[in-house]
Amino acid sequence: MIAFEHVAKTYAKEIATPAHTALADLSFTVTKGETLGLIGANGAGKSTCIKLLMDFIRPDAGSIAILGQTPAQHTIRSQIGYLPETANFPSNLTVLDMLRFTGSTCNLSQQDTRTASEKWLRRLGLWDARKRPLRNYSKGMQQRANFTIALLNDPELLILDEPMSGLDPIGRADILALIAELKNQGKTILFCSHILEDVDRLVDRVLVLHRARNLFVGSPQVLAEQQDCPTFMEGYLNLVQQVTKNA
Amino acid sequence: MLSALKRIAAIARLVLIDGLRRHALMGLIVLSMAAQAGALLFFDFIPRDIGRASSDFILSLAWLSGCIFLFFHGVQVIALDEERKVIYSLLARPISRGEYVLGIFAGLAGLLLLLNLLLCGLGFGTLLIIKQLVPPVYFSQFHIVPYLLAWFGLIAMELMLLSVILLFSGLVRGSFPVLLISLSFYAICSGLPVVREAVNQQAARTEGLTGLKTMLLWMTAIFPDFDRLDFKNMIASSAPLPDISLLLVNFGLTISYLGLFLWLACLVYQRRDLQ
Repeated sequence: MIAFEHVAKTYAKEIATPAHTALADLSFTVTKGETLGLIGANGAGKSTCIKLLMDFIRPDAGSIAILGQTPAQHTIRSQIGYLPETANFPSNLTVLDMLRFTGSTCNLSQQDTRTASEKWLRRLGLWDARKRPLRNYSKGMQQRANFTIALLNDPELLILDEPMSGLDPIGRADILALIAELKNQGKTILFCSHILEDVDRLVDRVLVLHRARNLFVGSPQVLAEQQDCPTFMEGYLNLVQQVTKNA
Repeated sequence: MLSALKRIAAIARLVLIDGLRRHALMGLIVLSMAAQAGALLFFDFIPRDIGRASSDFILSLAWLSGCIFLFFHGVQVIALDEERKVIYSLLARPISRGEYVLGIFAGLAGLLLLLNLLLCGLGFGTLLIIKQLVPPVYFSQFHIVPYLLAWFGLIAMELMLLSVILLFSGLVRGSFPVLLISLSFYAICSGLPVVREAVNQQAARTEGLTGLKTMLLWMTAIFPDFDRLDFKNMIASSAPLPDISLLLVNFGLTISYLGLFLWLACLVYQRRDLQ
């Protein structure tokens, strides 16, 4: 489903900003039906991985394959559901406008778009607010609206960048349940999060990124065992501390 | 091809709806229409040649409204999409960068056409009323064909500016730099014919300006001469319409210019990182 091979990315120098290596020689794969969690501190390279997958930026070296093609092949995005880290929409539009846009670009019929929109808007508690401008939504509502848009086309692959961002505890539990439901349906999921508890609960494997490099790929239990720690969270912290100390 | 057009139309629809719901744009439309209706008061202050002055006033006002739209809304669309990261939500769908640029162009062009259509209709009515209110000696000629030609030229100029703005939006980040560069571009386009004329007059008196004359002539390829599409003086004039071949050349060049700049805008946008 996803294959990164020796991918490197450096953000070019700009006025008052030095060049910065975001990824160095990163390789990993995600197989069909698998859930992979991308974890790491701020600036570790998680969002860069996702931006590369979505073709928002291009790698300096290495190759990326997604659904058997390169990310530059824009038509594959009809099989992808993407949730950006910050939910932002054109300020005067409603969620219905965005859903119509999604349906139309993903070649869904008007009837299918209507049916799927109603299903997801009701499921995510946005049905009553569907005609309100998105600028009037709270952060949590915007995040749920983004989920509705990402799931409308029944994607094979879900790429979720901080899916719990801005959600209250009830919203978070609801989204966790939804991701678990999608996982059980056999969807392939790549998601990055700072909340290690959620990662531990949902993923089959984790990819630990630290300062643009891959520190660990494997199941959370293996990481805990490898670090001789009782929990995955402690195992992760131990690994990062060791690497920082040795650097 | 059909599905590409469908995707371009989907982006254009979003831009159109977003623009139509934007209070600032609604305000601009209302203000432009009110100012245009103000020509009914304005013509009272003109001592002679009322037809020419009124039509000039109406078309100039429409040009000003178009420029406000382009420089304060058009410039912001792509830049704000990037600054607010809206672009990630849009390009997460199966849309190529080129389709995104063309969709934005189509949406903004649709809004511009709508603005001009309203002003054109209102302007026509205003000129008809003025013509009926003044003696024929002050406003003898008024025909629909030169009037429509003048609007067609005006829209062509605005679309050319829009394509340039989209190209600059791909080349630099942020709405303010795009605004500054676009305004500079427009200033050069407006000033170049004057400079060329001055250099021609100078060249007639002295020698050795051939290089400068050639350079100024070639600069027109990058900085188009908008005067070629300015037909507002013909609205109330008895002079014959320009030769059809000249019109075809001018509008043909406009279409080529639009095509070239949009192609470049798509190319630039296709290659850059969206950080």
